[in-house]
Amino acid sequence: MSAYILRRLLATFPVMAVVAIFVFVLLRLAPGDPAALIAGDDATAADIANIRTRLGLDLPIWHQFVIWIGGILQGDLGVSIFSNLPVTRLIAQRLEPTLMLALATLIVAVSLAVPLGVLAAWKAKSLVDRIVMGFSVMGFAVPVFLAGYVLIYIFAIQLRWLPVQGYKPLADGFWASIQSLVLPAIALGTAYMALIARITRASMLEVLSQDYIRTANSKGLATERVLLLHALKNAAVPIVTIIGIGIALLISGVVITETVFNIPGLGRLTVDAVLKRDYPIVQGLILVFAMTKVFINLMVDISYAFLDPRIRY
Amino acid sequence: MNAVTDQLAPPILEVEDLRTHFFTRDGVVRAVNGVSFSLRPGETLGIVGESGCGKSVTALSILRLIPRDLGRVVGGSIRFEGRELTGLDEQEMRGLRGHRISMIFQEPMTSLNPVLTIGLQIAENVQRHLGLSKKAAWDRAVEMLSLVKIADPHRRVHEYPHQLSGGMRQRVMIAMALSCDPQILIADEPTTALDVTIQAQILDLMLELKEKLGTAIIMITHDLGVVAETCQQVIVMYAGRKVEEAPVEELFDRPMHPYTRGLMAAVPRLDGRLEGGVRPRLQEIPGIVPSLTAPLPGCPFEPRCAFSTEQCARHMPPLERRGAAHDAACFEVDRVLEKSLV
Amino acid sequence: MSAASIALEPAAGRASSGLWSEIRRNPTIFLGCAILLVLAACAILAPWIAADPLKHAPVNRLKAPSAEFWFGTDQFGRDIYSRIVYGARVSLIVGLSVAAISSVLGLTIGLLCGFYRWFDGIVMRIMDGIMAIPSILLAIALITLVHPSLTVVIIAIIIPEVPRIVRLVRSVVLSIREQPYIDGAVAGGTKAPRLLVRHVLPNAVAPLIVQATYVCASAIITEAGLSFLGAGVPPEIPSWGNIIAQGRVFFQLTPWVILIPGVFLALTVLAVNMLGDGLRDRLDPRLARRM
Repeated sequence: MSAYILRRLLATFPVMAVVAIFVFVLLRLAPGDPAALIAGDDATAADIANIRTRLGLDLPIWHQFVIWIGGILQGDLGVSIFSNLPVTRLIAQRLEPTLMLALATLIVAVSLAVPLGVLAAWKAKSLVDRIVMGFSVMGFAVPVFLAGYVLIYIFAIQLRWLPVQGYKPLADGFWASIQSLVLPAIALGTAYMALIARITRASMLEVLSQDYIRTANSKGLATERVLLLHALKNAAVPIVTIIGIGIALLISGVVITETVFNIPGLGRLTVDAVLKRDYPIVQGLILVFAMTKVFINLMVDISYAFLDPRIRY
Repeated sequence: MNAVTDQLAPPILEVEDLRTHFFTRDGVVRAVNGVSFSLRPGETLGIVGESGCGKSVTALSILRLIPRDLGRVVGGSIRFEGRELTGLDEQEMRGLRGHRISMIFQEPMTSLNPVLTIGLQIAENVQRHLGLSKKAAWDRAVEMLSLVKIADPHRRVHEYPHQLSGGMRQRVMIAMALSCDPQILIADEPTTALDVTIQAQILDLMLELKEKLGTAIIMITHDLGVVAETCQQVIVMYAGRKVEEAPVEELFDRPMHPYTRGLMAAVPRLDGRLEGGVRPRLQEIPGIVPSLTAPLPGCPFEPRCAFSTEQCARHMPPLERRGAAHDAACFEVDRVLEKSLV
Repeated sequence: MSAASIALEPAAGRASSGLWSEIRRNPTIFLGCAILLVLAACAILAPWIAADPLKHAPVNRLKAPSAEFWFGTDQFGRDIYSRIVYGARVSLIVGLSVAAISSVLGLTIGLLCGFYRWFDGIVMRIMDGIMAIPSILLAIALITLVHPSLTVVIIAIIIPEVPRIVRLVRSVVLSIREQPYIDGAVAGGTKAPRLLVRHVLPNAVAPLIVQATYVCASAIITEAGLSFLGAGVPPEIPSWGNIIAQGRVFFQLTPWVILIPGVFLALTVLAVNMLGDGLRDRLDPRLARRM
């Protein structure tokens, strides 16, 4: 088991290396002078020269790469061009809202979508099944920002049940924080739920037609036990896979959701940095998000070993 | 005859005029079309026929295990210890299944849940029906594994199905089925998927356990060899109907239905071991099983029958008593009996 | 007429009318196609059925939907209906071109990966790396490096989509390579390019078409998202994402400026997905069973 985990862990290094190289090359590949690009249209020659020196763009390219990789390995993602603050510190400051939003979405989506998918498969071809499938086809087509604005319009503007926008940090109280996350989490989670519900249903349908489910029924086990232990555990691998893939989808969605709901998280930081062409921040964020994604894939891979005893380590 | 069988005791299972239909796009399939039989305590009853003759569906109908969107029992009665099962609700049926009546299936490779340990799969059965504690249930699982002669049961109980061979898995299935000491064990082709040598071991084990526990068995098989080895009473099914029933010696001595004769002719000789050690299915009777969606007015076996007459094509032969405890559904029994067995 | 040709005739007849009868028989494909055709017609006929989408008319600022302005107006008095009609052009161009170009690129790279081990090793590492970066982030980063235009947006969306298609095609190639007839063909002296064309392409086409429709849907959503974030097509082009982005400030006053184009966006994506689902059920039954 630990050999399997170690092997999976080692396999993540080349991926991260490619991401690091990619992020490094990205800025240097841009047509024209990256310093001029970052400085913007109104910059003077002195501004551009200043940026060039600060980013080390005047050094030979291999030297630049060594400095950049060396910094990353020491946990140094560089310094923001505009605020002059270390990128790691900026990211740390914005981490809480994004983490809370992602967690809330994950919990809401998984705890609703998996039971719905199981129900739809169990009652296949029934009205419930059709409703769940209808929702899943529709839900997957609704862009995050449409879901967000529709929710704001109904629950914040018309009904005034929840705040329109903004985020309350945990320091302001747990419930206030949760309240500010309800609408963003549903908006962000809609497509995610649709995806999970659909895969859960398909996976369960396949499992429910297997011989061992007939065996479980021939033992007179309670329906819940047949569905939730005998069937769901067998159906779990594709479901966990899609939950993992979906988290990647969530990361893209977070950027948009935070803009719709004005949440000062990593997504907002990304968009602001991009619009200001604050490249060190953009590079740092891409690395952090990619690392998160790779880490989640690793977790999913490891979970297989626990879900299916037939997987060889 | 087996000492455990009590010919005077009332039957524990009485099936009368059972009808199970499947509802398909091409029409209603009458998979079981008016089958009746009874089973006495400790008796082993064989149900034989080709695949598709309705023998497995009969078994699944008794336990009400046919997926509801595919088909259901549409008529007849099933009485277990005098209690009508067709009227029970799903909850009451679940209380019977695996407890008083249990079942083992043809495919040991796919019939056990691959992601749960075999111990859990046995223990959950006794926990559910006998209300044992978790600890006691696992002890029972170990006990059952040693009963079905699995070596080192304390270790095996924690293993997953993929770690066991086909024969071992079928032993686990038997252990699971017998774990609550059921009155009836329904075995649906329990040895078909196994090697010949393993087949004999599994049959011996079943007979031994039956002696020990006094369980009545319904043995569903296409293999008359299995019937000869294990059963006291035999039912021959064809196209959803019972075409012949007799005690085992009587059936083998004086088979009355041409179809039964066909089955006997199709039994492979002992030297006829085939590749993979699997006995051949009964396909040696010429022709195919007739459509169950649009049955003809006459005897369903008529198109394949060497004895058929005009009457056979026009009328359905009724099931009649033709000898001591011997029933057959054929107009031409006398002609069939005249011809000696090949 | 020989018996053989008589026997063949009905089959041939079915094949020729197959597509149309298939579309009519399959409600998912039919509805998806119908919605897309209406949208395509609007996009093409935009100059005749809509007014100038760029015309500022301060008199008509922030008007609610009415007989004159079907979908209302924005803060500059621009007609939202006309902007949505023109916006359909952007969405459809982005969706179709991303689907087509990334399919061709993915197919080429995937085929090469499946047949040349050394190429596979390098390319798949790069693909894994690209896939590790969230697509919208990658697209934004790419777009900000150059002056934004529709072409740049299309390229920026293609890059994160390609690895998924490469993986799909590669898996088809690898599974086909396991087939005994490929060994036979290789032993018989057939060269790799011929093998690709004769054996792999026909097997890869069905899953590829299905995947391409999903890429199309995803591209339409991504473009709208990018424009919404201000990192998409230039703001003067009326794309649905831009309409929504520009409606954000006055959302509480004029929610229709965001909700109506949003509904059109969702409807378009729904139609493409329905087409994809229908095609999947039809062309790729193995995949359909898994979904």
